[in-house]
This record gives sequence, C-alpha cells and structure tokens, in this order.
Amino acid sequence: MKRLMLMLALGSGLQTAAAQTTIEFWHSFGDAKRGDWIKARADEYNKAHPGVTVVPSYKGAYNDSLQATILAARQNKAPALVQIFEVGSQLALDSGMFQPVSSVKGVDFGDYIKPVINYYTINGKVNSLPFNSSSPVLYYNKDLMTKAGLSAATPPTTFGGVLRACAKIKVALPDTKCMSLALYGWFVEQWMSEQNALLFNNSNGRAGRATATTLNGAAGKKIFQFFKDLQDKGYLTNTGKLADTDGTNAIFSNQRAVFTINSTADLGNQIAAAKTAGFQLGVSVLPIPDGTARNGVVIGGASLWIPKNLSKPQAEAALDFALYMTNTKNMADWHKLTGYYPVRNTSITALRGQGWFTSSPLQITAFNQLLATKSNPASAGALNGVAIQTRTLMEQGLQKVTGGQGVDAVLSDTANQINAALTDYNKNFK
Amino acid sequence: MSLISRRPRPPAAAAEPQERATFKSPVLPWLFLLPTFIILAVFLYYPAVRTLRLSLYRANIILGNETFEGLGQFAELLSSPVYHQVILQTLIYCALVVMLGLLLAMGLAWLASRPIAGAKFYRLMLIYPYALSPAIAGTIWLFLFNPEIGVINNVLSSLIGVRPRWLDNPLLAFGLVVLAAIWKGLGYNVVFYLAAIQNIPGEVSEAAAIDGATGWQAYWKVIFPLLSPMTFFLVFTNLIYALFDSFGLVDILTRGGPVYGQTGITTFLIYQLYEDGFRNFKTGVAAAEAVLMLIMVGVITVMQFRYGNRRVHYGA
Repeated sequence: MKRLMLMLALGSGLQTAAAQTTIEFWHSFGDAKRGDWIKARADEYNKAHPGVTVVPSYKGAYNDSLQATILAARQNKAPALVQIFEVGSQLALDSGMFQPVSSVKGVDFGDYIKPVINYYTINGKVNSLPFNSSSPVLYYNKDLMTKAGLSAATPPTTFGGVLRACAKIKVALPDTKCMSLALYGWFVEQWMSEQNALLFNNSNGRAGRATATTLNGAAGKKIFQFFKDLQDKGYLTNTGKLADTDGTNAIFSNQRAVFTINSTADLGNQIAAAKTAGFQLGVSVLPIPDGTARNGVVIGGASLWIPKNLSKPQAEAALDFALYMTNTKNMADWHKLTGYYPVRNTSITALRGQGWFTSSPLQITAFNQLLATKSNPASAGALNGVAIQTRTLMEQGLQKVTGGQGVDAVLSDTANQINAALTDYNKNFK
Repeated sequence: MSLISRRPRPPAAAAEPQERATFKSPVLPWLFLLPTFIILAVFLYYPAVRTLRLSLYRANIILGNETFEGLGQFAELLSSPVYHQVILQTLIYCALVVMLGLLLAMGLAWLASRPIAGAKFYRLMLIYPYALSPAIAGTIWLFLFNPEIGVINNVLSSLIGVRPRWLDNPLLAFGLVVLAAIWKGLGYNVVFYLAAIQNIPGEVSEAAAIDGATGWQAYWKVIFPLLSPMTFFLVFTNLIYALFDSFGLVDILTRGGPVYGQTGITTFLIYQLYEDGFRNFKTGVAAAEAVLMLIMVGVITVMQFRYGNRRVHYGA
C-alpha cells in the first residue's frame, strides 16, 4: 500500500505530460539477478503510468553501451536513459550528448548520500542520478584466522596490520596464502582517497580539466609499496591477470587465502560462496596505510544519464522513472539483493528500522565506511577523459612492482604514461 | 613423385577461352557477380575506405571530433617502442600458432584417419574445440590455469610440488596463449586435413608400402607432399585466425598481460587495436592500426603466393 501511494505521488505530476511516451533504458547488467530486478521495476512503473512505457535493455558492458549511446545519439536515436560507469563520466560529459539531470526538472537531491552525489556533481550541477554504487571492503575467512591464532573479531584495518597478520598466517598455515588481491586500478583510486590525496591536479579534475596525475607522490608510493611488501614476503596471490577480481574471489572462496579485498557489490555472492564452502565470512573496512586519518572511499559503480535532444515529456518521464527506480524502498531492496549501497539516506533509515543490520551484520561495515567518508575533492573522485586507460596503466605498474621492479622507478614511469595519455586526450580540445 | 601427379592443374590462362564460351553476353557474368559485389561494397569496401580516411584524422568516437593529422598517427605508431614490441610478439605468436598448429593437426588427422577402433570417436573429439566460442574457451583455460585453485596446478603440485604462475610469468603466459590458440584452432585444421587425407588415393600409400616405406617414411615422403595444397590454404586461414581471432582468447585469458618490457606480452596487434579503439576510444589511432594490419596481411599474402606456391604440389 505504501509503495502504491508513493508511486501515485511520484507519477501524478507527470501523468498528463507523458502521454504515450516510450523510454528506452540501456543498462549493463547482463546477469539475471540484476537485469530482472530492473525489468520488474519497469513493469511496476509502466502499470502505474499508462502513458509511459519503459523498455529496459541490456546493451553490453559499460564501454560498449557508452559507445552505442553516443552513436545512437548522433543519429537522433538515443535512449532516454543510460547507465554509465563512473570512469566514463568525463567522457560522457565531453561528448556533449547529455544534459545534467538537475536541469531536466527540479529534484531535491538532499536525500542522496553525500559522497555518492558528490561524485556525480560536476561544476555545481548534478549530472547524473546515482544508481549502483559500491566501494571495496576487506573480506576475511574467520575460521582460517582463528586457525592461524588471530582474533577473528579484530581483523586488520591498516597495511601494517595486514602484513603482521600475514606473517602469523605464513607460519601457522604454510599452505594458505594470506591475501588474495587483484592488481586492480580501482583499489589504487580508493587508497588515494583514503589518504586524502588527489589522483589528478586541478582538484582531481573538478576545478578544471586535469592535466597531470599526482600519483607519483608519498600517497601513491605507500600503495605500491604495500603490493610489493605483500609480494616479496610471499603473502600475495591472484590469478596474474590484471583486475581479475573473479579470480581472487574464487581463490578466497576456495579457502586458499585468508583475506581478499573486493567490492561491497559482491557481498551477496561472497556470503553464498562462503556458505557453500562452509566457512564463517567476515567483512571489515578497507585496510589503509598506517598513520593515516581515514578520509573515506570514492564511490564506484555507475549512474543514470539523460541524453540531450529528447522531447521534454520524454526527458521528464526518464528522470521520473529513474527516481522511482532509486526511491527509498527500491534502493533498500536493491541493496539487500546485491550488496550495492542504497544511495539514499532514507533507505538506510528504513533498513535500520527493519532490523536489517542486526540480522545481516556483515552489511553494516560497508555503510559505516561510506557514511564516515569526508566530503572533499579526494573522496569526490578523479574526473578525466583517460580514467579507463589510467586504471590499466596503474595495474601494469602494480604488476611491474610485484614482478620485482623498484617502486620509485615504476611510479615515475606510470605517472609519465598517464600524463602522456592525458596530454593526448586534452589535444582533442585545442 | 611423377607417379602421383596424374591430374596437373591447368594454368589460369588456359581456362579463359572456355569461360568466354559459356557466357555469350559480356554483361551476364557481371550481372551474376553483382549481388556479391553489392555485399562486398557495403560491408567491406566502404568501411575499408572509411577506415583509410579515418586513419588520417585524430578522432575520438565519444567526442565525435576529427582533426586532420595526415600520416602523423602512422609516424607515431611506427616510431613507438610499444608498437614495435606489439608487432614483434604478434609475429612470433603467429609463426608459432601456424607452424605448430598445422604440424599437430596434420599428425593427428593422419592418426585419426588410420583404420583403428574408435577412429570416429577420436575424430569427433578432435573437432570439438572448434565448436566452442573463443570466450568460452578462454574461460575454461582461465579456470584450468588459476595458479591457486586451477586443476592443472592442483595436479602439478601433488605430483611434483610446483605451482607455476601461468598468467603473470611472461614466458608461461605467452606459451599458454599460444597453446590455447592452437588447441582452439585444432578442430578446424583437423577437419580439412582429414578431408584431404581421405582424398588421397589408397594406391599411393599401397605403392609406398610395397616399395618398403615405413609408416614414418610414407607419411613424410608421400602424404606430407600430397597434403601441400591443403597446407597452403590452411597456412593462410590460420594466419588470419592468429592475427584477428586471437582477440577473444586474449581478452578473457590474459587481458593482454602480463606486462613485459614496454607492454603486455600477449598484447597482439588486434588486441592493441581493441584497447585503443574500443576501451580508450582513440578511434583515429585504431583506424591507423587497422590500415597497418591490412598492409601486413597484404604483404604476407603476396609473399605467400609468390614463394609458398612453389612448394605446393598439386598432385592428388
């Protein structure tokens, strides 16, 4: 009943304006769990709004769907709503094919969790509506920790803590690796934010176009050194393929490693896998460099964009559906299903009211980590046109370091490569 | 060898009068060719011309901008140490995949064509990898060679106590991709070789046997030369396979890594093109790479027809 009221309330203002409007919604969730959830929300919405037909469709991975949208937009066949990943934000902005959601119609964004809405607020305008948002956490195998003589109640929260735990694990469990950690650029972005360090100049590309990376500094060095320490002491494992978190998950789920770091969006799968394998799963905050005040995480995931050149009713209906899909109740459901953050403060209140955090205590860690995040350019995340390439370059840098090369030389090389890519991209605007 | 060249292929020029005789009007053959030409023009020639044009422009598909650069992007690519390494490792990869793949396929096809029990089953099993999509093949290999939980390392570790790092040791990763590509292409090659072997008249092997040739000799001195037309064809198709179809396997299995020297050691030309064009959206550079690849394939084809053809024996 409550849901119906909400739907009516949301829909009433648009019912007349959006007569017979079709909303194509392109997303990147090819799996049944998340794809079906979106489909179900669209069906509900369509039933409540006879004048609007929302048609969600899976358009391939983030990269492919971004490209498809741009090409469609050039032929005036753009979908009315598109899910675009966070590292594609600057590209989407530079394409000039989208309009800020805040200019479609007046929306109160006050309910959105601050660090989430900050990422998508560019030049003072909310460009896209937050949807699936996540950050990395430490997953740990409680049984193996106990076996190694560690307290499962106090997992390590710093790099030093991880290394000390690993030292004990190596002695107690010689056949088990300590840390299953993918060489993944996203983690580097997170650790820069945690140290309140920028990844790019010009306030992470938010005060002006980024022209150089600031990876090659004390903060970046600590991150790369952590990977090197883990590797040199024989604590680290992964599949060897860059950014292969599926691989590190599998190693962790098969109890070949005590710790892994991965997205909160993976929580649902991790819980299921631990149950199958028969071990107690723990979730804790992302460990950070020692002696650092925890600045918080950068939001990862994707947001919903509305192209330009739509008719007014179409743009409004698209935003209206997006707001419906991300309303208080739906975001709470979405969180329970997947582990992604509900992007609204009221969703968290609702979840707390339902006793969700007492019945699923593992989920609370992720929230506290996000809610404690301080709002500043570092935690707002880096905006630049080569964010995708930057990740790959950082991953290759991590691989060089774990392959035995020195941290300083690799960092400086990696920074040069990123700068070259950035200079090349910025040439597009001369 | 003269024994087996019973039906020499007529040279191309000799066939011409006969063809003229078939078509009375000169328009008719063109008319028949028209549908093919239309399809080629729309799906091949037009995009190729567009690519050629695009290669001269700095372009980003997301931004939709185009700035004329002339041959600048080619110059940049051809002077880039990263691209040099990519070309070199692509050539080594292609040579290994084509040579080892064809030798293995030829041998297996020969064995599977012998009158032995279960030959049909072996044939079926040999062809099977070809039915898998590169993505699935890549995923299977990724599971098998996971250093911690993969079947291969579990077996190796219990037998000889080692757990090789298949995907981040450059040499192992390169070898693994070569092996996977050979395995993936095996079915295709075996099918063609089986067909070719079955077309070899039985008398030939019989004659060899009567003359006292051992199985090994019969294979190398009789069968191998008789298969050369098929080999000629397969060298070309396999080369194209290695150059262009390596993408799916590489993307799933190694993502172009592990990094060695300037770049990932399994970043081959087609993967570099994908990275530049479709991950980093540098459309102009990707077009230039496509043109370079086209030139490469052209050169290889001409060379193959000029020098490779001499060794081909159109006997059977």
